[in-house]
Amino acid sequence: MQEKTTDSPKKLSPKEARRIRMQSMTREERGYVRRKEALEKVWPLFRFLILFGLSFVILYPLIYMVSCTFRERSDMDDPTVMWIPRNTTLSVLKDTIAAMDFWNTLKNTLLINIGCSLVQVLSCALTGYGFARFKFRGKKLLFGIVILMILVPTQIISLPLFFQFRFFGIKGVYTKNLIDTVWTMYLPAMTANGIRAGLMILIFRQFFKGLPRELEDAAYIDGCGPFMTFIRVMIPNALSAFLTVFLFSVVWYWNDYYVSTMFFYNTKTVATALYNLDNLLKMRVFGDATVQLTPREQIVWKQAGCLISIAPLLVMYVFLQKYFTEGIERSGLVA
Amino acid sequence: MSTEKAPESSGAQKKRRRGLSYERKKSLYGYGFIGLWLVGAIMFFLIPLGKSFWYSFNKISIEPGSLKLSWVGLENYSEALNKDPKYTDNLEATLLETLWKTPLIIIFSLFIAVVLNQKFRGRTLARATFFLPVIIATGPVFKIISGDMETSGNTGAAQFSTMFSTDLVGDLLQFLGVYGMSEKMTGFITTVADNIFGIVWSSGIQILLFLAALQNIPPSAKEAAQMEGATSWEYFWKITFPYVSPFILANLIFTVIDSFTNPMNSVMERILVFQNKEINYGLASAMAWIYFAIVLVSVGIITLIVNKFVYYEVD
Repeated sequence: MQEKTTDSPKKLSPKEARRIRMQSMTREERGYVRRKEALEKVWPLFRFLILFGLSFVILYPLIYMVSCTFRERSDMDDPTVMWIPRNTTLSVLKDTIAAMDFWNTLKNTLLINIGCSLVQVLSCALTGYGFARFKFRGKKLLFGIVILMILVPTQIISLPLFFQFRFFGIKGVYTKNLIDTVWTMYLPAMTANGIRAGLMILIFRQFFKGLPRELEDAAYIDGCGPFMTFIRVMIPNALSAFLTVFLFSVVWYWNDYYVSTMFFYNTKTVATALYNLDNLLKMRVFGDATVQLTPREQIVWKQAGCLISIAPLLVMYVFLQKYFTEGIERSGLVA
Repeated sequence: MSTEKAPESSGAQKKRRRGLSYERKKSLYGYGFIGLWLVGAIMFFLIPLGKSFWYSFNKISIEPGSLKLSWVGLENYSEALNKDPKYTDNLEATLLETLWKTPLIIIFSLFIAVVLNQKFRGRTLARATFFLPVIIATGPVFKIISGDMETSGNTGAAQFSTMFSTDLVGDLLQFLGVYGMSEKMTGFITTVADNIFGIVWSSGIQILLFLAALQNIPPSAKEAAQMEGATSWEYFWKITFPYVSPFILANLIFTVIDSFTNPMNSVMERILVFQNKEINYGLASAMAWIYFAIVLVSVGIITLIVNKFVYYEVD
């Protein structure tokens, strides 16, 4: 501010200054400056239009969800109702919460979700560190397995995996049925083989490769063993990467319905409850699983189900957005 | 606590150092770090993978307490390819869709990343919106909002898309004062709108990765370009593009795998029909393996081709 006020008396107006500057330029330079100025004026408007339009595409389903959740079923057939419901009601929301047994389901999901994500982040970090910093025989082959884990669709191995858990143990000696227990989720997560574990190992490997070696060398010289070095030096340095990967893991576990429907019959998670919402609703609301509803009539409940099942994620996203979007650049995928 | 432990551990190290070289010891620690994963990978990945491969050559029937396998050789494979018309159709459709959607997703997400990397008011909000699909698009919620109501026992019900249904596009056009469009044209616009939806919703992670790459471009490169008077267009091709090119490969592979392994794609759904409804595990495994082989080959080809054009900064 001060500079400007002191400069202004002896300086020309900006327009004049620009004219003089332009005169001193060659023709090409002038063209360049003009084009640049024009672009700088038009671009923000253009950018706003693009971003606004595309944001609409992303937000539309969410707005629609909210709009549907609070309207009565009859409003679905009212052509004048587009966004604002004619008859607002909470009954749809209540029905859906009851049908999904939402609070118990939520508790259940959080138990599986947060726990599995935690152990999986730790186990994947260990594995990633092993691959990033140590030389051992067969490392290339073993890392090939990690890549294979990323490439192989879960669907290929899900069936043998089911039987593995159904008759868990040593054949003929002792087997136990683990289906419908949380172990089907926890065991793979503990051993870095849960949902998208391959990707997480890869991320951690890249991340640890990117950290300077001096960090560990100092610890080694001080007489720390590799495991203690990992715990005392690497983990504190990797906290933001841990958090980012953990958040992604929570999202992936939350959204998983394929593995959960495979291993759980009675244990519900939010995703499987939503997946089976049709039948659950018919049982709770109409007391009859054979009721036929047209898809249009179901929409209010479906959308309400969608809304309550992503609400916890959305809340998490709003508060921790920074770690989702900024953490990834630090998490080493950039290396 | 630490003072107690320190001499102990260094003593143990000295003892071991007599027997093992430093290199050897370090490699043992390497196994120690990955050991947990290795056990899990054998139990929950390699054995099931092998079993599924084995299943694909067998007819499988369920007996109480176990599975009964009988060797049929390549019969399942020939059945999948020759006798089930839906499977090959779905396979073709999925491959084609991946083929044209992947480049579009990459181009779109790079563009959006470049835009979101600029400074403007409301940037945080815009970023938050564009990353929103990351937390939603992998779950059943996405299945519902993308208009697939056929799931969970509702088979045969008319599909109703809550997203850009034909009506909405038609209404919008009428609202804008466009009347008397030919049906072909409306159909075309609807497809485009549908696909924009699909592309926007499946580029969350890609945008995130590109954005991270863009933020890693050293400021010196930008300064140099400005000094030389590069236009934004030149800047994009000469600076931005080479710097993000390794990420194009990563994103390509990610996109392809994401689209191939998505439980919502039609091949996967076809496989699941045989796995869960018709209980023909052998056939389901064979289908899955054919599909997987195709995925592997395509990812391999992409890596080979794209690697030629990637610029790696030499440190």
